[in-house]
Amino acid sequence: MRGALAPPRPRVAVETVPRCARLLRVPQSAPAAPAMPRPRDPEVAAVPAVLYSYCSLPRTLPARPKYRPPLDAAEPGKEPVRYSNLMYDPRVVRGNTYALEVVPVSTPPTPFEIQRQKEAWKRALARKRAKEQMRPKAPEPVEGREHVQVQTELYLEEISDRVIEVDVECQTDAFLDRPPSPFFVPAKTGKDVATQLAGELFDFDIEVKPILEVLIGKTVEQALLEVMEEEELAQLWAHQRAYAELRNAELAEVQRLEEQDRRYREEKERRRRQHMQMLKKQKETAEKIAAQAFAKHYLADLIPSVFNNLREGGFFYDPIERDIETEFLPWLMTEVEEELEGKVLARIMLDSLIRTVVENRLEAFSRQPPSDQPEAPAEEPQPPEEPQAAEEPQPTEEPHPPDEPKPRDAEPQMAGETDAADQPVTEKEETDQPVTEQQSSQRMSFQLELE
Amino acid sequence: SGQELWSGKQDGMAHAHISAHLPPNIDPTKAPVAFGRRALPKLNEELQSPELLTQQRALMTLCDLVHDPQNVYQALELGVLDNLKTLLVHQDSTVRQKTTEILYIMTTHSVGRHGLIQNGVISALAELLDDPVDICRKNTHLVFEYMSKLTEGAVGILHAGLIPLLVSKLKNELEEIQELILGTLSNCLRVEASEALAADAVTVLKEKLTHSSVATRSKAAWAILEIGTHPEGKNEVCEEVIPVLVSLLEDTDPEVQASATGALMFAAIKPQGRFSALGAGAIPPLLKLAAEESGKAQLSAIKALTMLAELPKGRKTLLNHLDTFQQCLKDPSKAVKRAAKTAINVIQWKPY
Repeated sequence: MRGALAPPRPRVAVETVPRCARLLRVPQSAPAAPAMPRPRDPEVAAVPAVLYSYCSLPRTLPARPKYRPPLDAAEPGKEPVRYSNLMYDPRVVRGNTYALEVVPVSTPPTPFEIQRQKEAWKRALARKRAKEQMRPKAPEPVEGREHVQVQTELYLEEISDRVIEVDVECQTDAFLDRPPSPFFVPAKTGKDVATQLAGELFDFDIEVKPILEVLIGKTVEQALLEVMEEEELAQLWAHQRAYAELRNAELAEVQRLEEQDRRYREEKERRRRQHMQMLKKQKETAEKIAAQAFAKHYLADLIPSVFNNLREGGFFYDPIERDIETEFLPWLMTEVEEELEGKVLARIMLDSLIRTVVENRLEAFSRQPPSDQPEAPAEEPQPPEEPQAAEEPQPTEEPHPPDEPKPRDAEPQMAGETDAADQPVTEKEETDQPVTEQQSSQRMSFQLELE
Repeated sequence: SGQELWSGKQDGMAHAHISAHLPPNIDPTKAPVAFGRRALPKLNEELQSPELLTQQRALMTLCDLVHDPQNVYQALELGVLDNLKTLLVHQDSTVRQKTTEILYIMTTHSVGRHGLIQNGVISALAELLDDPVDICRKNTHLVFEYMSKLTEGAVGILHAGLIPLLVSKLKNELEEIQELILGTLSNCLRVEASEALAADAVTVLKEKLTHSSVATRSKAAWAILEIGTHPEGKNEVCEEVIPVLVSLLEDTDPEVQASATGALMFAAIKPQGRFSALGAGAIPPLLKLAAEESGKAQLSAIKALTMLAELPKGRKTLLNHLDTFQQCLKDPSKAVKRAAKTAINVIQWKPY
């Protein structure tokens, strides 16, 4: 603030000092003095009634750590606050308090000061320029050229021992076939000269050697090649043959084992089947025995029960009893039936007779009502027997057409009775059958009734 | 001291002018080989030329080149086989002969075998079976035999329906070719036997078992072995062939013995085969064969004896000869040891 030489006084220090001076001044001048660098105390606002007020409340400040906290220090985790001794706090103003060092007031600079500042600034600039000029610089570009700043990153090359290699191939063109050499016999030059030798010019044996060597060598070489080829083939086939033998042996073993296995399996299968059959037969035999025993037991009392059943069924019968039952009794019953039928018929006849008589009488009485009336009640109280007895001879004539006036006497008597016996009379009328039988039967029926 | 007149051209000195004759070690029957990679394409083109001589010369050169498997591979890539297939039915016998020879040499290499299968050469070769020239037929059969050693090749031959043809050829071809046919049949029979059985191969093979040539006998026995690996083949073999096989066990040639033992081994798997083998008296020769150290037939003999030991009568006989098997237990070969152990187990097995 004031100068680089002055020991740095953190502004905080200004705060900590109880500002007694201020205390005295504050009530008078309401706004904070402009000398104060930072008027930040709202309490400065004058409250004359209050005795005093602190600009800032006195508090003990924690010790300033010697070293800055690391960047990643945990802010929230509060370490134990350490208070320092005021006397040894570097922030406390030292020195004389009677001559307070006052921060110089920064008034707007006077024009003189401004000018001086400007000059100082110019001088600094000039100094700088001079310094720069003295520094060695690159030469100016040649005419027509320009220096350009370039970064060489892009053009960096890695230095290494290995040389970069690139493979390149090159091939000649395919050969052209050599055309057949033209037949050429050069022209004859020179003269023909002949010579004759006494002995031999060359030693045949010596001269012939290399030629022979070549010839025979080539032949033998060719022969060797062929023989080698054949030998190679023969070796191959021999090797194959040996392998084939081994393979055949193994194959034969496999097949033998297969055959053995097949035989064992078949044998097993056969024995198993035999055994199964045997078991089956055993079972059958056991069942047969059981069945036989059971059947015997079951049929043990067959005969007595059979005879019992037959006897109960009535197959054994006494012939006489049977005879009586089958013939005599039915006959008897039929005869009885006939008798009864006769009797019944007789009764019917009688009923019809009575009815007719009564009807005739009714007719008669209805035609002669006054004359017959006293007779009727006089005769009525008579027991029914009398009319019946009286009419006995008359019914014999009754079968004849009932129009006769004779039975008129009997009619009114019958009138009362015929109402009750109306129905049998009608029946009797219907059953007008031959007289003889009816007569006898009627007699019988009358007899029976009377009894 | 003969002072002879030397004519101008016959002295040993080199002349200045280029001679009219071709250099002495150039084969005029072969086409010149172009340099490097151009060789085979050029030959391929020459094969298609209308001139017979060019074709023949190209074929000769190709024949030589094909011994190297790299050339085979390149030739297959170039599609030489198509041209060769066309040339198979050429009317000139040399062309045919050389073509078949080229194919035969190709089949000695694995690359060639696979290439031939892929290009379906087998069916094309089938037409050459009746070729009048012997060497063509021989080469054809060589191709078939080598092809059949490969499973896919055998399958190809089966698919082409060649088995009946081959069996019929077996009856009246040359001896050499018969051996080749027997080889082909053996290999094809390993895959499938039904076609051959239908063509009545067993009868034909039975005849061959008593052929005079050793190779024929051994190959015929091997073919019967391969038939015997199949169940339906076993039935046929058991019926007729076992006595002959047993007699072959005492043959002079070890190859024949080995093949016969193998055939017996498979035939004895079925019960009726066992009975007939036992009845034909197979045990003594088999014991002899099993006793010889590192013989070709040892393993098969031990196995055949194991089969026979499943019968009670066989067990009885073999119980007396257990020491042979004990001897085999000490054999360095693992397979023989294992076989001997199994044999001892089977011989000593009791039903209770």
